Amino acid sequence: MKQQLNIVVNGEPHELFIEPKTLLVQVLREHLGLTGTHQACDSSSCAACTVVVDGMAVKSCSILALQVNGREITTVEGLAQEKSLHPIQQAFIDNWAFQCGFCTSGQIMATKALLDENPDPTREEIQAQLDGHLCRCTGYNMINEAVRDAAKRLKARKDLESQKWLQTAKSGKGAK
Amino acid sequence: MPNYRCPMCRKICATHLDLARHYLGQTDKKHKEWLKTQGLSYAALIKAQVTEFGNNGYEALAKVLQKEATVIDEI
Amino acid sequence: MKEFSIIGKPTPNVDGPAKVTGEAQYTIDMTLPHMLYGKLLRSPYPHARILSIDTSEAEKLPGVKAVITGKDTPGGKWGLWRRFRELSDQQALATDKVRFIGDPVAAVAATTEEIAEKALDLIEVDYEPLPAVFDPIEAIKDDAPMVHEDFPSNINATRHIEWGDVDDAFAKADYIREDRFVLEAAHPCAMEVHNSLASYDKGTGRLTVWTSTGSPYFVQLNLAEALKMREGDIRVIKPHVGGHFGGKNSTMPDAVNAAILSMKTGRPVKIVFNRDEEFTTTEHRTAQHMALKLGLKKNGEIVAFEVKAMTNGGAYTGLGATTLYLTGTFITMPYKIPNYRYDGVRTYTNIVWGTSIRGFGAVPGKYCSETQLDRAAKDLGVDPLEIRRLNAVAPGYTAPGQYTFESCGIQPCIEKMVVRVKEKWPTIEKDEGIGYCGFAYMSGGIFNWIDTPYAYSSAHIKVNWDGTVDLYSQAADVGQGHNTVAAMICAEELGIGIEDIRLHMGDTAHAYTDLGAWGSRETLMNGNAIKDAASQVKQKLIDIARLKLGENIAYDLVARNKRIFLELRPERGLSYYDLVKDAIRQNDGVPLTGTGHYTPHNKGMISPAYGMGIMAIKAKVDRGTGHVTARDVLVVHDSGQIINPLGARGQVEGSIHMGLGYGLCEEMPMDQGMLLNPEFVDYKILRTRDMPEIEILEVPTYEPNGPFGAKEAAEATIAPAAPALANAVYQACGAEFFSNVLKPEKVLKAIRAREAKNNAASQAKE
Repeated sequence: MKQQLNIVVNGEPHELFIEPKTLLVQVLREHLGLTGTHQACDSSSCAACTVVVDGMAVKSCSILALQVNGREITTVEGLAQEKSLHPIQQAFIDNWAFQCGFCTSGQIMATKALLDENPDPTREEIQAQLDGHLCRCTGYNMINEAVRDAAKRLKARKDLESQKWLQTAKSGKGAK
Repeated sequence: MPNYRCPMCRKICATHLDLARHYLGQTDKKHKEWLKTQGLSYAALIKAQVTEFGNNGYEALAKVLQKEATVIDEI
Repeated sequence: MKEFSIIGKPTPNVDGPAKVTGEAQYTIDMTLPHMLYGKLLRSPYPHARILSIDTSEAEKLPGVKAVITGKDTPGGKWGLWRRFRELSDQQALATDKVRFIGDPVAAVAATTEEIAEKALDLIEVDYEPLPAVFDPIEAIKDDAPMVHEDFPSNINATRHIEWGDVDDAFAKADYIREDRFVLEAAHPCAMEVHNSLASYDKGTGRLTVWTSTGSPYFVQLNLAEALKMREGDIRVIKPHVGGHFGGKNSTMPDAVNAAILSMKTGRPVKIVFNRDEEFTTTEHRTAQHMALKLGLKKNGEIVAFEVKAMTNGGAYTGLGATTLYLTGTFITMPYKIPNYRYDGVRTYTNIVWGTSIRGFGAVPGKYCSETQLDRAAKDLGVDPLEIRRLNAVAPGYTAPGQYTFESCGIQPCIEKMVVRVKEKWPTIEKDEGIGYCGFAYMSGGIFNWIDTPYAYSSAHIKVNWDGTVDLYSQAADVGQGHNTVAAMICAEELGIGIEDIRLHMGDTAHAYTDLGAWGSRETLMNGNAIKDAASQVKQKLIDIARLKLGENIAYDLVARNKRIFLELRPERGLSYYDLVKDAIRQNDGVPLTGTGHYTPHNKGMISPAYGMGIMAIKAKVDRGTGHVTARDVLVVHDSGQIINPLGARGQVEGSIHMGLGYGLCEEMPMDQGMLLNPEFVDYKILRTRDMPEIEILEVPTYEPNGPFGAKEAAEATIAPAAPALANAVYQACGAEFFSNVLKPEKVLKAIRAREAKNNAASQAKE
């Protein structure tokens, strides 16, 4: 018996009817065509399929889609703003933090969850967050550097935003 | 300088030892089978060559090829 | 040194935006309208005769569109050692017998993957199990079961290399030692599994296949053999590839059976292996036995070296015979060896087959030779770095009949290592050691066992009215960053920007042949072809510029910064964009084109150029538990002119990751031909916490055979990681290893053996 699933993915609401055994990764890749999320194992041990569910990094192969009914999900397709890449994405490019790119969406989404919670992680904290993420290409060091770089970029963006807000507040234009 | 032609194909080598090396590098049935007519075993020659240090397999075959390979004076 | 605008500058990956946004399409992400899902039924026996197959129940299952067995296939055999026809031993589905656990016997196409899997359960196969053989030492015995007819004692291929007078040199050596080794298999573990999507057009009789491969050309020619079709009627497209590492050179049953099922059903068919199938039925790094005999002078100078190798080839050939040859080659590098003999035999066995995994040949061979060299150095009282410096080759060195090093920075690399290692690690802790390993690797192979009649590499460029460039090649970016390198080489030659280049790569219908990504060949070989193509266009633009500028014909013109100008008077020049418009106008409206090729000639048997260097690893041993930690890595590396420093660093870092895995934890234990760890849960690859930091120092040389002086950067640094680690442990505690995976129990055993040896020695003294 198919059941109704209501989820918001990358800001867009979806209403689907699915078999209860359907995994979240299947819904994303097969039903919604969001193939940026990859699966590289069948044993929940590579983390390539990581997405963000209500702010938490989750392996989409290890959770039933119905378990996230009513939740908000962000995939790698939902990070970039209209014209510019997300600072994490840009940091991954600038630091050569991927090669084949197959595990990259999982690494990026885990980084997103990490930096949302801990904006200035140490090398050890990054390693702790990304430890389950297998990558066969990079040897990880360049990924770690990208994450630290992304943290700096996000901080710079935040500082700039608060500066702007402060200026606006001072000039009184934003008072209302 | 004489050269020697492989009894099974067109390959020509400068020494019998080189010819033996060529011979045991081939994988086709024809090359392997002819060794039997000379009282040799393809597998035994390879084993002699690879399981002991030295050139034992090639030297054993080179001796036979000294009798059997056609001498070619010029290439 | 020449000034470049683009070459040598850190350049972000041209595929970056696609790969970080999820837009990059891999074969596994693709679907076609009306597509079916294929699945393979695989043998549960390592060796068995097929008595009968009953597919009738499977065919009745709703949703099943086709069920095929060996008799339904065109029956063509294929392989990559095509110059030895009998080594073309792979087939779509087994006909007479199965040769390893996982050999496919039937294939199903159905409307869903789930139905296809259910259908597999309904196929009845009657097998007669046969005696099987799993190890080369058993396989080569006279009474061993035969894996293939006509291959007595399961001898699949042999390779012999010899120069100098080995026996005479051993007779005169001051010191001789012999060591025997057993090397474990390892899996490439690409993150994207093997998968293919095939679409056959009944109307035209033509086939299109999208597949996760390192060489679209290999797949094209192998499909033609398997399906008994013309190569030209088959188009192979390589989308983004989620990792290769040597495991994606051979054409595998996914591509062939997807094609056959598509021909049968008239619908597109996709076959995706699961991770278990990937581990158990796709190619791995060959397990092997090796014996080494080394003869030295008292001062450590090598006078003679002899190597014997027996490899556990598995059920089919792949590129495994090439690996056998290269094992005998790379084990000699980068050292002067005046007298050398190598014999290798590859045996057929009833396991999945071994092939050309990253650093192929070098990885097992160097493990043996460099750990042996350290033991010899200790016996002779020579410093491990000094023995490597003493024996290191110089530019122009030739191994008779085999190879020549034109550019060669190994000596300056070792000199830099001597200095840097003292600065970096002035003191070491208790139970720490520093281990070294020299290394060298090819920049693409010269050997042509594949028997291609085409140029090894080709590239075609078309320059449009607005100055944008379309670059076409079959060359394969499999993650190593070749697309970026290709765009950089093209842009540098034309004096334009990367943003002006649009790539059309890896499609057999759009470009002349390139043999693909293996043996570190793309930068040098495809790079030369691209540079050739671009220089043809550049010359046309220079000719027009010369005409328009009216300058002295003796003046040299260069293309740089989107202009063509006098090299000595840069202010006198013309815009690239204007010149392109003029050239097209002058050419009756035809866009500018250039077609470049590269095939090496008169460069020996192996490669036109070699990347090389020396690696040091600092490791710590826990004497209580046997646990080994790689703490720090230092590489001094001659990779010629680096094209893209970002990408080159990525290649070195990544290959050290795989090399350390080979040395620490990766293994493929089997029981009666059954792999015991076919998942990432049990097959351990190093994680981010396990990776030490890596310092890479480049000592660039100029390689005359490479584009802009470039050579290999992708594979040389994998081989030294495991031996440098083992040598570090040897230096730390004297433990000796004759096998690669330094698991704690093995390390503890080796420490105990060393202690027993030391005790015996001190008792003997008393």
